[in-house]
Amino acid sequence: MKAGFWRFCGKPALLAAALALLLLAAGPGWARSLTVSRPNQQLYQEPSFASSPLKTVPQGAKVTLIRQEGEWYKVDYQGTVGWLHRQAVPEAAPAKVDLSRLIFGGPVAETKSEEVALAGKGFTPEVEAGYRQKNPGLNYAQMDEIESFGVAPAQLEKFIQEGGLNP
Amino acid sequence: MRPAVLGAAALLVAALLLGGCAGVSVPLPAAVQPAADIAVKTGAKAVRASRPISDSEEYYVGRAVGARILARYPLYRNPEVTRYVNEVGLTLARKSSRPHTYRGYHFAVLDTEEPNAFACPGGTILITRGLLKLCDNEDQLAAVLAHEVAHIVHKDGINSISQARWTEVLTTLGSEAARQYGGPAGQLVSLFEDSVEDVFKTIVVNGYSRSAEEKADREAINILRKAGYNPGALAAVLMKMQGKEGAGGIYRTHPPTQERLAKVQALAPATPPTGEELVRAERFKKLEF
Repeated sequence: MKAGFWRFCGKPALLAAALALLLLAAGPGWARSLTVSRPNQQLYQEPSFASSPLKTVPQGAKVTLIRQEGEWYKVDYQGTVGWLHRQAVPEAAPAKVDLSRLIFGGPVAETKSEEVALAGKGFTPEVEAGYRQKNPGLNYAQMDEIESFGVAPAQLEKFIQEGGLNP
Repeated sequence: MRPAVLGAAALLVAALLLGGCAGVSVPLPAAVQPAADIAVKTGAKAVRASRPISDSEEYYVGRAVGARILARYPLYRNPEVTRYVNEVGLTLARKSSRPHTYRGYHFAVLDTEEPNAFACPGGTILITRGLLKLCDNEDQLAAVLAHEVAHIVHKDGINSISQARWTEVLTTLGSEAARQYGGPAGQLVSLFEDSVEDVFKTIVVNGYSRSAEEKADREAINILRKAGYNPGALAAVLMKMQGKEGAGGIYRTHPPTQERLAKVQALAPATPPTGEELVRAERFKKLEF
């Protein structure tokens, strides 16, 4: 019986079983869903704020993670594929290794845990909190006020048009 | 290859792949292990040394610099003027080669007669009432703001953090203590404080390098052109600042030297205002600052 079992395992069926196991392990990585927890986040064409915004993603929206690159997530939101910054999903745990890329090829260096760990640290809100505690005389209240200043797109368009400027 | 050997090979590959993914190390022969350790350490160091300051880190440094400036000069709270300055500024920023930053561009007016303007890394631009008064019209205000936007585009402020300091930040981040305990380690807060000081010294005390100023002027002229403003307004406003190089404020942080003016005039000479420029000048005149 034992000998029969090993004889079965020695056949190419074992290779198929091993591959099936790998695919099963890779499965959850493909379908990982993230919830956007900040309002009015933008989906960008490239993993950079300098690239063109493709779509606004509202708070609470579910996006499907495709891959991660440093502070950026490539996601699918309602059929639009683009890049979402980490700030939109601050609670998302970093993806360790993209198995699908490992199996089917493509660079995996961008998702190495060392890089993810470094990208997740640095000058963060926590460091700012420590700095503020050490320097209580700084005027962060007015800095917050300035960051709340904005111009509605329609108002900006009107301003540009009235001034004979380029849209 | 016999099927049994093929099966064993497949199992080995699967074990290696899954083991690596799950963080389980595969024992290497003793002779190979030291070399592998060195390779891992060298690789980690290379990652640390190569990572630039991220957009969010630039933002947090910029916020701290802004909070320091605002501790010195209070905000001028006139909603009409604030909205107007943001309208002009955003019209320009969207035409720059860095139209979006981590938390966007914001513009504000400081309540002081001292003429000056500051570009906090990340996109907050502060202009004083003194400098607003120095401008004759909207296009000259746009020229000043376009120059500040250009400093954000070129990351001139954040690049004041020395390479040695940034390397120290990354070394601290990579240290075992930071990895294990995380959080705002005291050393990281001190390094943040020193980085803020580096940037503050450049944008508030000493000013940018001459080459950074000239580059910012060139970008400002491009932005003005793309936005539809008169690019000659930069030369016009620099002319108004001539002869005051020894004074403080903007004359120290953005010295309007003869050489700088000559280069700006060569690119975009001051020209008489057009009809549309006069319309914009009218809305500028209506504001109180």
